[in-house]
Amino acid sequence: MSEQFRNRLMLAVALVLAAIYLFPLYWMYITALKSGSAMFATPPKFWPSEPQWGIYGDVWQSRNMGRYLWNSLVIAFGAVALISVLGVGCAYVLARYRNVWVDIGLFLILMLQVLPASLMITPIFVGFSQFGLLDTPRFAVILAIAAKSMPFFVVLVRATFMSVPMELEEAALVDGNSRIGAFFNIVLPLARNGILVSAILIFMQAFGEFVYSKSMIQDIELQPASVGLNSFMGPNTNEWNNIMAYATIYVTPILAAFILLQRRIVSGLTSGALK
Amino acid sequence: MTLQIELNGVNKFYGAFHALKDINLAIEEGTFVALVGPSGCGKSTLLRSLAGLEKISTGEMKIAGALMNDVPPRKRDVAMVFQSYALYPHMTVEENLTYSLRIRGVKRAEARKAAEEVAATTGLSHLMKRYPRELSGGQRQRVAMSRAIIRHPKAFLFDEPLSNLDAALRVHMRKEIRALHDRLNATSVYVTHDQIEAMTMADHVVVMRDGIIEQQGRPLDLYDRPANKFVAGFIGSPAMNFIPAVVGEDGAHVALDFGKTQAKLALGRGLPPGSSVTAGIRPEHIKVVAEGQGAFDVPVGFVESTGSATFITSATQPELTIVETGRGGVGSGDIIGLAIDPVQLHLFDTATGKRIEPENGRIGIEPPRHLHVAGHVS
Repeated sequence: MSEQFRNRLMLAVALVLAAIYLFPLYWMYITALKSGSAMFATPPKFWPSEPQWGIYGDVWQSRNMGRYLWNSLVIAFGAVALISVLGVGCAYVLARYRNVWVDIGLFLILMLQVLPASLMITPIFVGFSQFGLLDTPRFAVILAIAAKSMPFFVVLVRATFMSVPMELEEAALVDGNSRIGAFFNIVLPLARNGILVSAILIFMQAFGEFVYSKSMIQDIELQPASVGLNSFMGPNTNEWNNIMAYATIYVTPILAAFILLQRRIVSGLTSGALK
Repeated sequence: MTLQIELNGVNKFYGAFHALKDINLAIEEGTFVALVGPSGCGKSTLLRSLAGLEKISTGEMKIAGALMNDVPPRKRDVAMVFQSYALYPHMTVEENLTYSLRIRGVKRAEARKAAEEVAATTGLSHLMKRYPRELSGGQRQRVAMSRAIIRHPKAFLFDEPLSNLDAALRVHMRKEIRALHDRLNATSVYVTHDQIEAMTMADHVVVMRDGIIEQQGRPLDLYDRPANKFVAGFIGSPAMNFIPAVVGEDGAHVALDFGKTQAKLALGRGLPPGSSVTAGIRPEHIKVVAEGQGAFDVPVGFVESTGSATFITSATQPELTIVETGRGGVGSGDIIGLAIDPVQLHLFDTATGKRIEPENGRIGIEPPRHLHVAGHVS
C-alpha cells in the first residue's frame, strides 16, 4: 500500500465519519427550509426544491424568540460572570498551594462535576424554594449552573495558572509588589487566554442549558430559548420545519462563534493558553 | 565599613527537614559574596530567605541594620536576578525595567529616563520595545540584570544567573557582572554551584553543604587552607587528590597508601603514631620529573591534553591526577617521578575530615625516595 493511497483512504474515512456526525445538523438546516409536504415526502429529498426562506421571520415572530434568546443570554452571561469571579480565585489557590487538603478539595470539586444535573435538580429545587430563590428564577438558574459548571472551569483555569511560573510572581514580589498586586499585574494577564477560553466554553454550556431552566422557571416571560424550543414540541407535533427553523436560529450564532474561535479554544485548552 | 547583611543563628525547617542549620554570616557593604555548594546544600534557600521569599524559622536576619525576619519582600529593598531570569513575558523590555519604579509611583517619564540610562550601560538601548521572547539568552540575562540595577537596591541577590548561558558567554558575563558590582559599589550575594564562578568573582566565598557553612573566607584562603576535606575537594579544578595515609611509628612520617604502591613522606612535626589521616595534594602542585628524580615514582595510566595543559592520571589505587602546563612527552605505561613542594601537602583527619594544621607551617617530604613501585613492596 503506497503512502499516498493510505493517506487518501484515511481522508475518506475521516470524511465519512464527519458526515455521519454532522448529518443531524445538516438535516436541521434543510428541514427548516422544506415545505410541509416536502418534509414528509418519501423518499426524502436531501436538498429542498423550493426553499422557504420566510420561515425564519415567521418563527421569530410567532414564537417571540427575541424574548427567549434574551433570557438565554441573561442566564449565560450571569453564569459566566459568577463562575469567572469565584472560579479564578479558587483555581489560583489550588494551583499555587500543594498539600493534602488541596488534593482533597480538588477531588471533591471533580466529584461535583460527575453528578448529573437531572440528579441534582430535586435537592436544588427544594433548597432554593426554601430560601425563596425561586422568586427570582433566572438568578436561581444562574446559581445552579454556576454550581454545576464551576468545577470544569476551576480545573481548566488551574492548569492555566500552573503554567505561569512561580518565579515571575516572586520577581514581582521582590520588585516591590504585594501578593495581590502580583496576581493582578503578572499572573492574571498571563493566564488571560486560558480564562477566556474556559469562560467561552462555560458560556456555550449555559446558553444551551435546559434541565435547571425547565424545572425552576415557570413564568414563560423568563424562560430561555432551550425551554422555548421544548414547549414547541408536543405529542402531536408535525410542524418540524418550524421547530428546525427555531433550532437553526438558536444554534447558528453559537456555531459561528465556535468556528471563529476554534483555533484559540483548542490551543488554549492544550497549551495552557501561554506562549 | 558597615555591615550590610547580618545573619545570626539562622535556621530553616521544611517540616522535619532542616534546610539551614545555624547559619552565621556577616557581609560588609560593597562585598561580593558567593554562596557555593552542591545542589541541595541550602544555598538557594539562604538566598531566598534574604529576599523574603522564604521565612526563616529561627534566628536573626538584618539588612542594613534593620531586622528583616518578618518583613515582606517588597519592603526589603533588595533586587534579585533569577536563574530563569523571570522576565515578565507580557511586557516589553522597557516595561520590564520600569516595573519596580512604576509600582513605587515614580512618574512615567522619569521611569523611562531611568530605564534609558540603565539600558545605555548594559547595551540594551536598541531593544527597549522588544518582548522577552524576541531576545537571545544573553540579552534576556542583561534585561534581568538591568531590572535589578535600576532600583539601586541595598543588595543584589543572584540565583545562578549564568547557568542557562553557553560556556563562552558565561565567562564573558562573569567579568561583566563583577565590573558592574564594582561600578555600582553594590553589595552582592551570588549563588552558584560552579566553584570557578565563586573563585573568580567573589571577595568572600561561603562553601555550604547539607545546610551548614563548611567554610567561609577569601577565595585564595579557601584554596590554600581548606578547613576540611569537603572544601578541599570542592574548591579547585581538577579536584584535589586524596590518599589514605598512616602516621608512622616515629610519629614524624606518613605512609601514603596506593594499594600495591606505598610512599613514605616525612612530617614536619609529631602526630600520634599509627593514626590514620587523609593526605591531599592538588593536581597542579605535583611536578613531573624523570624517573627516580622526584619524591616517588608512579606508573602512568592515561594522558589527556587540552593543548595548553596535560592531565596525567596515574595507574595507582587511588588514582593521582596531575596537571602539567604544556605538553610533556609522557605516555601511558611510562614510569614518572613526582616532586611535591612540602608546603602544598594538606592533611585531614580521616574520621572527621577536619584539616590538621602543620605546627610550624610545613609538612615536609623526606628527600630520599621511599616509594616502591609495584613488585617492590617494602
